Amino acid sequence: MSREAYQVPSMGGQSGFGNEGGFSSMAVDSPSVVYLCGECSARVPLKRGDQIRCKDCGHRVLYKERTKRMVQFEAR
Amino acid sequence: MAPLVPSQEELQRRRIIGINAETVTNIPSTDFPGHWPGESHAWALDQFKDNFKVEYHRNDPYEASFSLIGLDAAVANAFRRILMAEIPTLAIEYVFIQNNTSVIQDEVLASRLGLIPLKGSVEGINWMHWFRKPSEDDDGPAPPGPSDFNTVVMHLVAECTKNPAAAADETDPRKLYHNAHVYAKDITFSPVGRQEQYFSGEGTIQPVNPDILIAKMRPGQKIDLEMHCIKGIGADHAKFSPVATASYRLMPDIKIERPIIGNDAKKFAKCFPKGVIALEPVTAEEAGRKGSGYEGHAGEQKAVVRDAFNDTVSRECLRHEEFQGKVKLGRIRDHFIFNVESTGQFESDVLFLEAVKVLKLKCARWKRGLTDLMA
Repeated sequence: MSREAYQVPSMGGQSGFGNEGGFSSMAVDSPSVVYLCGECSARVPLKRGDQIRCKDCGHRVLYKERTKRMVQFEAR
Repeated sequence: MAPLVPSQEELQRRRIIGINAETVTNIPSTDFPGHWPGESHAWALDQFKDNFKVEYHRNDPYEASFSLIGLDAAVANAFRRILMAEIPTLAIEYVFIQNNTSVIQDEVLASRLGLIPLKGSVEGINWMHWFRKPSEDDDGPAPPGPSDFNTVVMHLVAECTKNPAAAADETDPRKLYHNAHVYAKDITFSPVGRQEQYFSGEGTIQPVNPDILIAKMRPGQKIDLEMHCIKGIGADHAKFSPVATASYRLMPDIKIERPIIGNDAKKFAKCFPKGVIALEPVTAEEAGRKGSGYEGHAGEQKAVVRDAFNDTVSRECLRHEEFQGKVKLGRIRDHFIFNVESTGQFESDVLFLEAVKVLKLKCARWKRGLTDLMA
């Protein structure tokens, strides 16, 4: 019984496991995502590979923003 | 053989439910054929019309109290149940949340919004149809979506900001910030299509109680949502129930069987709510009558029943040794004191008429079912 070896999915020829070299080349065109600082509630735009740190107060806990999509609920 | 006709006293005795210290007696009604040997008791419309009485005690827009006298408990209970569960009203059903950064979670906020009682022009609400929900198991054509005749759109948009004009040592968040508290009055109605004509001016759709607190916020927090209100019935969800309470109680009946005089009378009056028992002086005529129990007590205070309506039937008087065998408590079986408290969409007395209408419709439907059965 021979089975095909598991192929690690590749992204543009690079390894899916991000090494620093892979990130830095992508960081140029990757979109920045806005996070909220857990300490001062400042909006912190981060790009891929950026240090996870608030630019105002240096706090290291950041939260994702709420979705911009509409969410539907039943009032029950 | 002509049916036996019971005496008035006998009929009166049968109307009373006995309430004793530990037991309740004579509970079920017996005015149906076959219970009393030789008596008819067949139900007749003209007899019912003669005996049935309605008395209004109180008729405020949002609270009505009235007596229905001379009908069976089954019918009275049907009215009560219909009032609570089968009269349609408008309530928020769908909440579309664009943004909610307040501390209150989306689903909790939606649930809170749903429970807010709404009011609007009665004509408009009666004009509105049911909103047909898309069925969960996908068979049959999808029902038409929201329209002006089945959905009312409302918005709630609020953002909390700092109030620069607040005093430096202010601690009240309502003065310190703008929109710190979001109330039901912040909900705005967005009329669609023909709703413009039906719900204008006084009749615009709005919360009955403008000061219901929906959420509390702090600067930087925001609520932005749209609500769809539809018609529904209380059987589906309590938010659609048009009444806060709809209940009835039976008219209390107090019989003083042997005289209660002097200090005992004062104590007896204290066993009941104010105004139920009054004190009257024993007249010379009563004192002179042999075997009345008042002999030689002329001028003393005796207890009389003034107004049994307000009694709570607490049975307190049955606990005391001195009143043993002197008083008989009861309730009148066919005297229903209704209390209907509206949530605000309809007036209370209109609600009861609506309940009658619903029961009539149900009877008509059942009658149709019967004729179909025969065919």
